[in-house]
Amino acid sequence: MKHTGVASLALVFVLCVAGGWAWAEIEGSKHDFSKQEWSGGDKCGVCHAPHKVMPPTTGPEWDPKADVQRTFGKPVSDSEMPGNGTLVCIRCHDGTIAKDAVGGTKKQRFANIHHPARVSSAHGTTDHPVGIEYPQFKEGYHPPLLVTARGNVPLPEGKVECVSCHDPHDMSEVRYMLIKSNARSALCLTCHKK
Amino acid sequence: MKMQRVLLTGCCMCGVLAAAAMADESIVNSKHDLSVRGPGPIRAVQENEVCIFCHTPHNAAPQTPLWNRENPRTYYRIYESSTTDARIDQPSGPSKMCLSCHDGSMALGNVLSRPMAGPIVMTARTMPPRHGDLTIDLSDDHPIGFRYDRALTNVDNQLRPVEVVTRELPLGVHGELHCTSCHDPHNNELGDFLRMSDQMSAMCLACHDLDGWYRASHAVSGKRTTGRVVDPTERLKYASVTDNGCSCCHKIHSAPQSERLLRFTKEEHNCLNCHSGTVASFNVAAEIGKRSGHDVTMRTGTHDPAETPFSMRRHVECSDCHNPHAVEHNPMGTVRGTFGQTVKGPNLHVSGVSITGRETDRATYLYEICFKCHGDSTSRPRLRTSRQISQTNVRLEFRTSNPSFHPVAGPRRATDSPSLIPPLRNGSVITCTDCHNSDNARSAGGSGANGPHGSMFDSLLVRNYETADFTVESAQAYALCYGCHSRDSILNDESFSRHRRHIVDIRTPCGVCHDPHGIYRGQGNATEHSNLINFDLSVVMPADTTSGRRVTYEDTGRLSGTCTMTCHGFTHVSFPYANTAAGGSTSQVRSLSRGANR
Repeated sequence: MKHTGVASLALVFVLCVAGGWAWAEIEGSKHDFSKQEWSGGDKCGVCHAPHKVMPPTTGPEWDPKADVQRTFGKPVSDSEMPGNGTLVCIRCHDGTIAKDAVGGTKKQRFANIHHPARVSSAHGTTDHPVGIEYPQFKEGYHPPLLVTARGNVPLPEGKVECVSCHDPHDMSEVRYMLIKSNARSALCLTCHKK
Repeated sequence: MKMQRVLLTGCCMCGVLAAAAMADESIVNSKHDLSVRGPGPIRAVQENEVCIFCHTPHNAAPQTPLWNRENPRTYYRIYESSTTDARIDQPSGPSKMCLSCHDGSMALGNVLSRPMAGPIVMTARTMPPRHGDLTIDLSDDHPIGFRYDRALTNVDNQLRPVEVVTRELPLGVHGELHCTSCHDPHNNELGDFLRMSDQMSAMCLACHDLDGWYRASHAVSGKRTTGRVVDPTERLKYASVTDNGCSCCHKIHSAPQSERLLRFTKEEHNCLNCHSGTVASFNVAAEIGKRSGHDVTMRTGTHDPAETPFSMRRHVECSDCHNPHAVEHNPMGTVRGTFGQTVKGPNLHVSGVSITGRETDRATYLYEICFKCHGDSTSRPRLRTSRQISQTNVRLEFRTSNPSFHPVAGPRRATDSPSLIPPLRNGSVITCTDCHNSDNARSAGGSGANGPHGSMFDSLLVRNYETADFTVESAQAYALCYGCHSRDSILNDESFSRHRRHIVDIRTPCGVCHDPHGIYRGQGNATEHSNLINFDLSVVMPADTTSGRRVTYEDTGRLSGTCTMTCHGFTHVSFPYANTAAGGSTSQVRSLSRGANR
């Protein structure tokens, strides 16, 4: 019994340390805008809202201004509608939405790192498709279970989103904020059976 | 216990999953793994990502597989052939992506995701020669960039229907053939990144449906092709002719002979390299070099499968008489006349000209193949013997409506050949190759290949046949004729009653009186040119008669006739002969001949 108590304490300690470490990552990463004037010193509020205000939400509580009706160059069916794991990113990274829409004070636009002053075109041409169902039955793809469980690539609601490859909080410290190292193209080959 | 079972099941499932993951060869560790840990000689110096050389997740080139390279803007020289029905265009789509490395002109490390100034550093800047560098000359590679559609397969009946092809190999969005139709750049399980095995040319045969191929010797022969016996510059992939299939003769990429993608520039080398006693059973190359023969080494680049027999330039190549895609072994007999006149294995699916002068894609009778060059063709051989009636068109000489002819295109109606050796008889049919054949041919009792490849005797004759005047008669001197016409019968005067006198006593060769092929009915008539009589004018001179100087033979019935001419200084004027066996009066003939002899 005593042993169990010690173990529990140790576990709590480890979790705290780990949590603190994770916190330390967003702090100072490229996504830490707290030192920017327009963010008002808020680390989370740039992306997250404190209350559920945007239907439908299943993940974190996103800022309400996310443009959920955006179509990405071609008409999308419901199943092709990107989820929050994409929409929140696209708000800034498509180069059309002003960053002050988040709550900043300066009328300043993000220079999109991917498409400078260009709307994201039809997915599947110049960018890896997002918001698509993971093609689990198609030839050349690993089973979803291998992707998520063994490969540690999240497929939110069975879809491929930005957050499948990228970790916005930069916890893994891999370049391009990748969710894991792409050495030997390990990230690509997690899904692609090539 | 239960726990153990669960564990066991778990292990099994893991094993199955792992096996499924490993079943297909991955691009990782294949030749296309250009990362620093790649296995090939061409790889990056530092870069450790595998996909990046071709693909990028963002800011790709605007083509489907998130392409990470510029397309080459090169103008390629494309494949041309006189026999293709495909409309071959400049490469496009996926082919151009492959060519961005494989044409050898663009730097391998230049990818869109890296700045121009800082490309990926590679062990070789561009694709080095002979390592998959196709160069910008694509005329020596299998054509790409043409639409493999119904319009094409309707015209070319040696291509399989599109629906059948696409079951095995993918075509482009408009049905066009690309590099990716045959190659899967991500899977090198079968070698050369092939989508199907090329053993027994399964890959080629997915599209190409060659007439007669599945029974052809070249498809079924188990002869060994080890080492560099077939091509001194390249070791073939498999050890036997049947396994190598097409690639025994064809090279799909960078072929030395661009048109038709052949291994050798000189047509005959593609055949004789194996048919010289190295791979094939018979040494045909040795026959070709003989005194007279179809010298396939004479011309290079003249033969064209699309040529028309009537206007082609003079030449002979192996493929004029043989179709390597359909050629079959022929275990033929050795008795003349039993071969039969229909085309047999070695000459299957070869074009020809019929006895009526009509071109045909597929000769039915052996002589039709000969008529391509020895018939109406403007490049046919010249006359060898000057005769009363000159004719170089062999097709006309063998017409069955002629006054007389050797029965090649059909049997003779007459029954006046008592000398024939069984099984030949009046009404039998022979072939060109009964007389014109290699002297070493199996059908003539030798040990070499059948067929008119080459002979130590003039005119590509299978046996000796003396044409010089005053030749001393012997079985050897006229061995060709005596092969079918019994020497005993001839010299016993069973047909022409004066054969012995002419051949033995006066030493006149057969060819002085007889024109072996036949006499075209448009030039001669049945009275003056029956029995293949067409005098050799270098021996036979005109005789002075009341009606002027004449050389004439006149048929006066079965085995009887008269001659008017001067021969060996002896003048015949209406000199008659008749054979007693044919019912002629012996006394009458004797008295007449005595009078003439005076």
